[in-house]
Amino acid sequence: MVEFAIALPLLILLMYSLANVSVKIFELDKNQLSDYALETEAQYVMERITHELRAAKEIKIEKFTDKVHKLKIVYHVVEEDDNEGYINFYTSRDKDGAKYYLFEEKDVWETQFFIPRLENGVYVSLNAKRQDDNNLTNPITGDNFFGNTKINILRYSKPDNKDNKVLRIELEMESLETEGKIIKLATAVFMPACKKLEGLDD
Amino acid sequence: MNRIRNERGFLMLDVIFLMLITALAATILINAAPRAKNPQSTIRLIALHLANEQFAMLESKAAAGENLPENFLGKDADLENVVTFNVETTVTGTGNLRKVKVKVSWSDEDKDCIEVEKTILFVPKENP
Repeated sequence: MVEFAIALPLLILLMYSLANVSVKIFELDKNQLSDYALETEAQYVMERITHELRAAKEIKIEKFTDKVHKLKIVYHVVEEDDNEGYINFYTSRDKDGAKYYLFEEKDVWETQFFIPRLENGVYVSLNAKRQDDNNLTNPITGDNFFGNTKINILRYSKPDNKDNKVLRIELEMESLETEGKIIKLATAVFMPACKKLEGLDD
Repeated sequence: MNRIRNERGFLMLDVIFLMLITALAATILINAAPRAKNPQSTIRLIALHLANEQFAMLESKAAAGENLPENFLGKDADLENVVTFNVETTVTGTGNLRKVKVKVSWSDEDKDCIEVEKTILFVPKENP
């Protein structure tokens, strides 16, 4: 019985320390995964916005708060112009014969919105998906709780030189799982076909 | 021989402990591997978006037919994020297609940088 008197406490001690280390590793893993989810989320949202903005014809920005804006992008119908041989918008001529662009309801091809939603006091990620049980989850991590993120800043502004066709975007997202983990991205997008930009008072 | 036969239960225990310890070490190493392979991924992401900002400003200038300067054209506040970034631009080529190379670095050492290249359309100003 002597060997058990020595081995059993040792065994218990060893199992305890092993469990301790495993929990530590699991927590590190969880933090690392939520950091990764935050980074991927910010990248995905930013890429979607810049991708959609590139082809925008008409842009309207509404300010929820100073830091969070709503974005509306309108695309217009394009048509091939036989006389001039290139793709053109629906145009019309005024009485002097000069061309001007028409923005009428019938021309609108598609409208795209980027609207941050306020839930329980935080702006949830633009990527969040609502499940059957009415909870919002992050598609990157599926149903796992460590992927939850929120939007701190989603702001659009014109660059300093007031060029009409460049829009500057700022995005700051924060992880709801790892405290204080913030990712901030700033970029600008050139919109060659943009004709109208509303909602930014300079 | 008889002695070993008596201790074979403890030998089994040793094997189990060794397996556990190996699994633990492997977990730690597997965790560390992606970090060692791809360090500073967040900083790289921010740098890439800074390069895109510079590209957008350059494209806008090129579409208006203005000269393409080599300094950073975006908002200077964007350079101060997690670390301080430095943006260098090289424009090569003449005619309608210009090749623009943007290098974003965030330390004095050359290895901490990204380099991206893009061909942009330069529209000359119409002569009146």
